[in-house]
Amino acid sequence: MKNNYLKRRTFLTTSALAGAGLSIGFNFMPEAAFAAGTVTLEKSGVKLGLWVRISPDGIITLIAPSSEMGQGVNTSLSMILAEELEADWSKIKTETAPANSDFKNPDQPMQLTGGSASIKGFWEPLREVGAAAREMLKTAAAQKWDVPVSECKAQSGQIIHAEKGVLNYGELATVAGKLDVPSDPPLKAEIDFRLIGKPLPSLDFPDKVTGKAQYGIDVRLPGMLFGTVRQSPVFGGEVLSYDEAAAKKITGVKAIVPVPNGIAVVADNTWHAKKGMEALNPQFQGGVTQDLDSTKVSKILRTALDDEGKEEIKAEQVLDLEYEVPYLAHATMEPMNCTANVGKNFCEVWAPTQNQEMSMDVTEDITGLDEDQIQIHTTLLGGGFGRRIEVDYVTQAVTVSKVLQKPVQLIWMREEDMQHDFYRPASMSRFQIGLGTDGLPVQWENQLALPSILKRYIPPMGWIGFDPTSTEGASELPYDIPDFDCDYSMVDIGVPVGFWRSVGSSHNAFYTECALDESVHAANQDPFEYRRKLLEEAPRFRKVLEEVAQKAKWGRKLPEGHGLGIALHKSFGSIVGAVLEISANGSNEIKLHKAWLSIDCGKVINPDTIRAQMQGGFIFGLSAALGEEITLKDGRIEQSNFNDYSVLRMNGAPEISVSIIESGEEIGGVGEPGTPLAAPALANAIFAATGKRYRSLPLSKHGIVLA
Amino acid sequence: MQTLKINGVQHQIDVEDDMPLLWVLRDVVGLTGTKFGCGIGECGACTVHINGAAVRSCSFPAIAAVGAEITTIEGLPQNGEHPVQKAWLAEQVPQCGYCQPGQIMATSALLANNPQPSADEIEANITNLCRCGTYDRVRRGIQHASELIKEKGA
Ligand code: FES
Ligand code: FES
Repeated sequence: MKNNYLKRRTFLTTSALAGAGLSIGFNFMPEAAFAAGTVTLEKSGVKLGLWVRISPDGIITLIAPSSEMGQGVNTSLSMILAEELEADWSKIKTETAPANSDFKNPDQPMQLTGGSASIKGFWEPLREVGAAAREMLKTAAAQKWDVPVSECKAQSGQIIHAEKGVLNYGELATVAGKLDVPSDPPLKAEIDFRLIGKPLPSLDFPDKVTGKAQYGIDVRLPGMLFGTVRQSPVFGGEVLSYDEAAAKKITGVKAIVPVPNGIAVVADNTWHAKKGMEALNPQFQGGVTQDLDSTKVSKILRTALDDEGKEEIKAEQVLDLEYEVPYLAHATMEPMNCTANVGKNFCEVWAPTQNQEMSMDVTEDITGLDEDQIQIHTTLLGGGFGRRIEVDYVTQAVTVSKVLQKPVQLIWMREEDMQHDFYRPASMSRFQIGLGTDGLPVQWENQLALPSILKRYIPPMGWIGFDPTSTEGASELPYDIPDFDCDYSMVDIGVPVGFWRSVGSSHNAFYTECALDESVHAANQDPFEYRRKLLEEAPRFRKVLEEVAQKAKWGRKLPEGHGLGIALHKSFGSIVGAVLEISANGSNEIKLHKAWLSIDCGKVINPDTIRAQMQGGFIFGLSAALGEEITLKDGRIEQSNFNDYSVLRMNGAPEISVSIIESGEEIGGVGEPGTPLAAPALANAIFAATGKRYRSLPLSKHGIVLA
Repeated sequence: MQTLKINGVQHQIDVEDDMPLLWVLRDVVGLTGTKFGCGIGECGACTVHINGAAVRSCSFPAIAAVGAEITTIEGLPQNGEHPVQKAWLAEQVPQCGYCQPGQIMATSALLANNPQPSADEIEANITNLCRCGTYDRVRRGIQHASELIKEKGA
């Protein structure tokens, strides 16, 4: 096991909460803590960090340690568990785990879902849980039949014995629940996998096509009130005044409650809360971004790069390039919301959140209650993309419910959601690239300027000007370039920034893969062959590139006006290649015809989920590259809703085919790695079709529109 | 008190003139399958049928639906037997699923009027936003549903 900092301890319990049956889980508490008696095992059920529950009716419930936000994690994790458990797939159900450190991903600093890390982090623990439960069920059957365990076989939810017949898991669960947990259960050989690697349909889709699926905004509690918030449009501003009397005249309005950074109106339904807020008409003052506008943002970034100065390049041919990208919003389809019910000595929270641990922390802070008195329920998430790693909406709902001592659902209107995001940072990148006599880069000097995401979480990173999420995807390239350097200038602008699907790679893949494409054309070579030459020492990358080029039939004769763009990028442990075919009609109108993607994510759990994530991730990136931009004027965000924040629709979306390379290497993520490829593939394709090179996004700023 | 007929059931509701149908469905009647995405008719997450036509309920006063047949996602077969639902499962369309009730309601209204839409007609009619980027599969889902309807009709 690689978790040498924590000794894993497996334990078993049959608890009142779990009912009869078998419940098993892992605990990442140090063994010493158990020995010293500092951790008690008295708390029951899922609170103990139970991961799987097999009830007497044979239903197997995975207490899924990750938030389900469309990335298909409930199904993929269930497949890993069911594989080892030899479960009947039709009996599998999932629940999202409560806030409890036992469910922390070993690859993450806290209990959260992010960084495309669920499969990587839970692959081993889930296999072990499944295998231990299987062995216990076998032992239970062997005891019942009075035969050696070695004669019992687990298969599709049953234990089978040649003479004695079969027993279902449900019949055995309660007896098995009383046995000791094997400390080192044998794992299946990968060749025997019957679920892993198969494109199984998602477990939660039937509810998603009938309207039964429950998101955060669908929580309904007896006596629940509905609220909405307004926050200072200038970041960091404060409430100056509001018209409480006018708001209270609106039918259904029950209360006006200040929240950190703003004010909430609570009513008998969302519509009345919204109307109440309009009547309340809160005014704000001050704030850290007061005089900021987008021109100033660019200036700050450029100054930071100028301060760094240029390098001296000695080469045949020298490229000197400047690239820039804007702030971006997450704009999850389900706006920020949270439901809280705070009483004297309890608090329940229902949140579509990626971050159970911080939800728990802020709830403890606000209510003054202990962890034991608080329950955090994670609903389905109507999109996450990193926005829901933040817990501002949880803070607000708990604050309001605490004041009113009633259950309250707080929903942000889309305008709040757009103007109070934690944005993908705006950034600028400069390249000085020296090409040798063969046209290949001999020197690569890259300078990046952007605000830090991590320093809000880890202040010392701000002091030393270091943030790997700013430079990821630029500080290391797979290409063989003898003299390579990437410098980072951390700038402070005041606009809140956060994790946006693929984080640093969302801009750095655009920068590096376009800059490389410019080198290709300066050297008058073929974009695919050129990259291939630079990948002689990187066979995994070369294979991904060759695969996608072959699928796209790179080099074929294209129809008039068409162009192919190619890109290659590694993020979150997965290598992705992309080719995009577009056409331009001579003016600024373009059409996206087809995209081919190839991915090497090490191991394949559910190939259809990987395909879906590649497709969705690529569309997310295309949408941003084409038309998304958050701008500032007078310290406030100018965009407010989908009428002025332009998101791609079906008529602009190309067909996307995906090929998966199973290399057997270390497990990589799939939720994010498709996104970074879109912008460079598109910009490179536009260059191929039109000869025009665009070095800033979105392309709509250059007049590019979809035909 | 007004009477709204939703999924075949009559509901007596006291609504003000300006209250959008979306919030009546979600917060008053308690049918939460219809989603809120923008409130200004841009995203389609709130799509329902009124007398068979797709309508964005966030921008449609509930009062204007008095006397009409209102159908929400809950009014489609709850076992998923509608051809659009079947096609959606066959093509594994959803991701987070939040936009999907709207996509499905928009598609089922389109196919009820035009069971074999051309590719251009599909793109012109289904303009719902999906932030997860399921568009390629929505397109295939619509074509698949169209085929299921054709088989049934033949
Ligand atoms: S919520 Fe009605 S169109 Fe977006
Ligand atoms: S499936 Fe998530 S928004 Fe469409």
